[in-house]
Amino acid sequence: METKTLALDLGISGVLQEGEGQPEYTAGWYIDPQTGQRIFYDPNTQKFYTMEGGIYIPLGYMNPSPKQVTLAIGDKLRITMSFKYSGPAISSAVCYYSIGVYGTFGFDEKMVGQNSKSIPQYVTPTLVTDSYTFTIPSSVGTNWDDIYCKVYGGSPGVPQNLFGYENALLIAGTQPAITEFQISDFAKV
Amino acid sequence: MVLDIVLAPLALEPQNFNVGDKVRVTVSFKYVVGINTTVKLFAGPYYTNIFGKHLVSSCVGEAELALPVASTPTPQTASVDFILIPQANGGIDNGTYGLRVWIEDTNAVAEQDNVIIVSGNAGSTDIFSSMMPMMMMLMMLGMVMPMVTGGEGEVE
Repeated sequence: METKTLALDLGISGVLQEGEGQPEYTAGWYIDPQTGQRIFYDPNTQKFYTMEGGIYIPLGYMNPSPKQVTLAIGDKLRITMSFKYSGPAISSAVCYYSIGVYGTFGFDEKMVGQNSKSIPQYVTPTLVTDSYTFTIPSSVGTNWDDIYCKVYGGSPGVPQNLFGYENALLIAGTQPAITEFQISDFAKV
Repeated sequence: MVLDIVLAPLALEPQNFNVGDKVRVTVSFKYVVGINTTVKLFAGPYYTNIFGKHLVSSCVGEAELALPVASTPTPQTASVDFILIPQANGGIDNGTYGLRVWIEDTNAVAEQDNVIIVSGNAGSTDIFSSMMPMMMMLMMLGMVMPMVTGGEGEVE
């Protein structure tokens, strides 16, 4: 009888390089030598991702915002989330959005919104997007400058995955929001 | 590996003042605000000791500043004066102080240590600072001695 071997190629490319001269990573799976965690690198976004429940999410939870959006009372802010998904079709997953204040004790949600999202079956990691639009109220605080979103729930259930940006908003409310405050000079007069 | 460290120069150079001098502080910042508003800008010297930083409140100056509506980050400069009131009038002692500037009810604060050098108080010797090491040593001795001589002093 012939012995047949089932070969599974997990596509692990190597171990992350530490220190100087970091190479340009190609798309694929790597192992973080610090944690032993398997992480995926996407050269298009130049980010590392973990995969939970079939959803690829960037490492970390709150991150420095790549840009800052200035908003006044009555303005509308659209937040768009995207993630890569592979797995069975999911009905009624929750795409959740929040504007608030991120601090030592976590994220203080000031405004929230959510959509119900159905995701078709994908056999390869496929980009899925969703968005929600907030209207900035007159009661807005100048410190409502952080945002986060998460996706969870549905059938079959998706594990909760979070991602957010710090200092993503600059609010023109009733109180001034001040940045780059510095002493230029001082002298006897 | 190349260790590439650049030491940033201090933003402000220390300056000498006499008590009674008026000091003008100029600040720059960017702001956005949804309505025309007025804010208060404060500035004053502070000293540092083992308990932290302490404003010399008698020397703090303030100025009102009008901020027109701005929906995009708008550059702004402003100035505020304060007077180095002599110690004899409840003001500042001779010594080296930091400079703090802030806008009331906002997160705008800027400060730098050791940039205001004050002199001119007649007969001032800054007794507290000069005696501090001796006081600390006496306090430590006071804590240690009972442990060293513990039990010997008990008489039944």
